[in-house]
Amino acid sequence: MEMRQSASRGRAHTFRREGRTALLFIAPFFIGFVLFNLLPMFYSVFLSLVNFNSLGQINTNEFIGVRNYVRAFTDRLAMGSYLRSFYFSFLYVVGIIVLSLLMALLLNRKLYLRTASRTMIYLPYVANVVAASIVWIIVLNPYSGPINSFLKLLGVPEGSLPQWLQGLRSALPTTAFIKVWQNLAFQTIVFLAALQDVPRELYECAEIDGAGAWRKLIRITLPMISPTTFFLVVVTVIGSFNSFTLVKVLTDGGPGSATRIITVFIYEQAVRYSYYSYANALACLLFVFILIVTLLQWKAQKKWVHY
Amino acid sequence: MEGAKEMGALLIPKKTRDVAVTSILSAATFVLGLLMLTPFVFMLSASFKPNGLVFVDALRIIPKTLFLDNYQRIFADPLYFVWYWNSIRIALITIPLRAFLVSIAAYAFARLVFRGKNLLFLLFMATMMITPEATLIPRYLLYKAIGLIDNQWAIIVPAVFDVFFLFMLRQFFMTIPRELSEAALIDGYGHLRIYSRIVLPLSKPALITMVLFTFIWIWNDYPNPFMFINSMKKQMITTGLQFFQAREGANYALQMAGATFAVIPTVILFTFTQKYFVQGIATSGIKG
Repeated sequence: MEMRQSASRGRAHTFRREGRTALLFIAPFFIGFVLFNLLPMFYSVFLSLVNFNSLGQINTNEFIGVRNYVRAFTDRLAMGSYLRSFYFSFLYVVGIIVLSLLMALLLNRKLYLRTASRTMIYLPYVANVVAASIVWIIVLNPYSGPINSFLKLLGVPEGSLPQWLQGLRSALPTTAFIKVWQNLAFQTIVFLAALQDVPRELYECAEIDGAGAWRKLIRITLPMISPTTFFLVVVTVIGSFNSFTLVKVLTDGGPGSATRIITVFIYEQAVRYSYYSYANALACLLFVFILIVTLLQWKAQKKWVHY
Repeated sequence: MEGAKEMGALLIPKKTRDVAVTSILSAATFVLGLLMLTPFVFMLSASFKPNGLVFVDALRIIPKTLFLDNYQRIFADPLYFVWYWNSIRIALITIPLRAFLVSIAAYAFARLVFRGKNLLFLLFMATMMITPEATLIPRYLLYKAIGLIDNQWAIIVPAVFDVFFLFMLRQFFMTIPRELSEAALIDGYGHLRIYSRIVLPLSKPALITMVLFTFIWIWNDYPNPFMFINSMKKQMITTGLQFFQAREGANYALQMAGATFAVIPTVILFTFTQKYFVQGIATSGIKG
């Protein structure tokens, strides 16, 4: 009895002492985090509720409730930009998940020159984004760039050469493709790690039952890695809205407004027109949309994720 | 059926068939890898050509004569290497600050018992869901209010408090056997000493991963300098390069030379430290 009491007292003592140490260890990070990460978020919400829509009015900051949000829903340009962002995300997420899974399946088996292939596949991930974008602009030049020169050589008639970044219809898918190219390494590496965790015995059992490669993929591999697939889809959807850099450098929203995704639209509203409050309402709305998509995925995971 | 299978096996031995399949798939993977490199191949090729030949001779990968003027112009450019150095300096200042503040907080989350730990950690994690690009405008207004606009600290300071690495390091610290730190506690070590003498030395791979990623992300950072830096002299390589592109307009060969230099540091870094990258991404991915 006595022993237990003293033990628990000792525990409470460590608990308190550790609490103090923890406070010391975490405080610097926490303070900086609050100032530079959390504060801008709350400030964004605050700004979206006031009337700070031109530089002249800096000091009025009159509270106007959800008027900026109402404006967003009635602004066809804004809604168009959201839709464009969603379309872009859809193309990007589907493209990168399928391609990276394929790459991971290839890299997971015995291959000659595997290290060389792997390094080449991973390289775009670390290459400077702006440099890579400049290169793509030149490579995909629709009139005389190397890609279209090559297509011409293959016999594609001049009139039906793709316009890539300069075509009204093709600009957004091309941008999504370039983002896939650039980020492929991340998803591939995560898939590869998941594939390596699938127990070998499962495949051996299936082989004894006479299962072919396709059946093994459908019945064992895909279900076994489904938690990773789920994680990757969630993370990739969130990341897909982070495309400001690529779009800004590749097309600056053009041609016309073909690639004016929501983050570019927000930037323009704030910087070009000084609609700071409106821009922040749009940003908060974007966050809400992303949150809804993420929650929907969370709900849908029961249907296809096997833990 | 059985017989046919055996016949087939007799005609083509399994080993030969395996070698054939592996060869075909190896070739396919290698070609995919080459396709991924296509833009860089054209980049290098065009950077060694006079501008007039970039499009005329687009498909000649190896130029007839090695044209070095583009690179000479980059070296002579009054700003290019200023941006280059700015990016390197910002990374070099951010890395130790981030390594220290993040790792010591991660230690507390991984090893110490205190009230509200899980809630606090969840709060940190939740903010990862917010795309950083969505807070560019409020950050711009805040930095303006405290006079950080056109100051490189506006890029360095916020980058120090990074939640992604807090998560990564915590995961890594948790894999270090608890017995080690408990034994040290009994020997009268304080937590600061356990952190610096036991946990950090055992976490070299995770720390190296963090240093490498930090360097690459800062090297590739575009939105921050784009929004918060006005002076040409203070720009980073990304924003500088874009200005360079706009200035050179139709001089594609020169742009390609500029791009080549901008790609080199991280590509070299990556090639020699691939193992750490793969580990870093794989652990954060699987345990997420």
